[in-house]
Amino acid sequence: MMLVKALLIALYAGLAGVDLFDGQLHFHRPVVTGAIVGLILGDFEKGLVVGAALELVFMGMVPLAGAQPPNVVIGGVLGTAFAILANLDPKVAVGLAVPFAVAVQGAITLILTVYAWFIHMADKYAEEGNVKAVEFINLAGMIPLFVFYAVVAFLPLYFGADAAKNIINSVPQVIMDGLRVAGGMMPAVGFAMLLKIMLKKEYIHFLILGFVLVSYFKLPLIAVAIIGIILAAYSYYNGNLGSKDTEKEGVSDGI
Amino acid sequence: MAYNSNENKLLTKKELYSMAWRSLFLQASFNYERMQAGGWVYSLLPALKKIYKDKKDELIKAMKEHLEFFNTHPFLVTPILGIIAAMEEKGEDREAIRGVKVALMGPLGGIGDAIIWLTILPITAGLGASLAIQGNPLGPILFLVLFNIIHFGLVFWGINYGYNTGLNALAALRTGAKTISALASIVGLTVVGALIASYINMKTPLVIHAGQATVEVQKVLDEILPNMLPLIFTLFIYWLLKKGLSPSKIIGIVVLFGIVAKYFGIF
Repeated sequence: MMLVKALLIALYAGLAGVDLFDGQLHFHRPVVTGAIVGLILGDFEKGLVVGAALELVFMGMVPLAGAQPPNVVIGGVLGTAFAILANLDPKVAVGLAVPFAVAVQGAITLILTVYAWFIHMADKYAEEGNVKAVEFINLAGMIPLFVFYAVVAFLPLYFGADAAKNIINSVPQVIMDGLRVAGGMMPAVGFAMLLKIMLKKEYIHFLILGFVLVSYFKLPLIAVAIIGIILAAYSYYNGNLGSKDTEKEGVSDGI
Repeated sequence: MAYNSNENKLLTKKELYSMAWRSLFLQASFNYERMQAGGWVYSLLPALKKIYKDKKDELIKAMKEHLEFFNTHPFLVTPILGIIAAMEEKGEDREAIRGVKVALMGPLGGIGDAIIWLTILPITAGLGASLAIQGNPLGPILFLVLFNIIHFGLVFWGINYGYNTGLNALAALRTGAKTISALASIVGLTVVGALIASYINMKTPLVIHAGQATVEVQKVLDEILPNMLPLIFTLFIYWLLKKGLSPSKIIGIVVLFGIVAKYFGIF
């Protein structure tokens, strides 16, 4: 039975790995992965909850300017699967999944370096005017990615699920509790990565506002998002954006 | 520059939408040498094939040149595709085509990062996760629907805008980049502030005994500022990132910190 489940999860992981780069419908995000892996393993509800916890961790870990973040696909798939199979607290699963995702990304970087070979083949076919071959070379790039993700998801699930369960059960309680604490804090890493890119002196008050609206006023996320959009619209129509885009007018004071 | 006053347009909706669909495979042969070059040619080919139907030499020249390094945001490649297709159709100089392509990919990559990866993804995925974390199956569905309405809206708007506006789009896209990034930062930061307060789990069980009195540290902290620990911790990690530590190292530090803090009963 585990073979069928592991194969289904491997199929999903392969498709999700391709979706990370191509198509990009974003069914590879943990919030979706959790539900699907949960469905396959027969615990939909737990899958949803673990997927949501993983989503928050991976939220800021996006491919910015070519830098490769921890792998969200494998982190989501294995994090959810181990949480369900080894009956882990979602926070412990987060603590386990993220280091795994970091390791897998190393392998992906290697694959994408080797891929330069594809593009040299495309050069050759372009020279010959072989349009079909140039098109095929591009699409064929998805095959190794699919296989890689499917295999990386399948092996630990099929051969390692019991072993992983035993290992996890033999880990001292203090470490498991520590992982739970670390998993609870882990979203801070993603949020800090978002801040690193967006935060500028003239915008700090928006960050504080969002924080205060939840901490004191207990507003749900969607309400805060709408308030953010209203503030952006207000800034736009009143022309007081920190960095002026109307360079030709040469007015530099934003207020 | 009335570039769209071109009366004998070759390209129709058919080629334009074919380019838009193909742009979903912009990164199929992504590699560190030329990044999206293979996918860029693949996406542009419906236009090139039609424009250079009976001119194989021209087609070869165009394909070879478009296999040069290319990288932009995958959701915002269609405006560039549209503009370049219009230029190819008008028979513009190859140098000019290359110049425009290179001039656009950077700014559009920047806008894309700001509005997609830093604003729309955190907001839509955050909404989905806020439902899913309560076991509500609408979470992932809401995320997929909201995200893809914006995704496909941008892709299909872009191809029409780029092709119809042609080179006139150049100035607008480049100067608009800053405004859009600023607006995205406002929405994004407001939401990140809310996420920090909502989803970082840090409460200390510490109790201080002072003579007869016992003081629960978490209660005191909550009275000063609720969610103070998550805020301080996020700013600490932000500082580490600013110092140049890699995310992988920071994740390692967080795991160790969690175990040590638990061991000493701080968390």
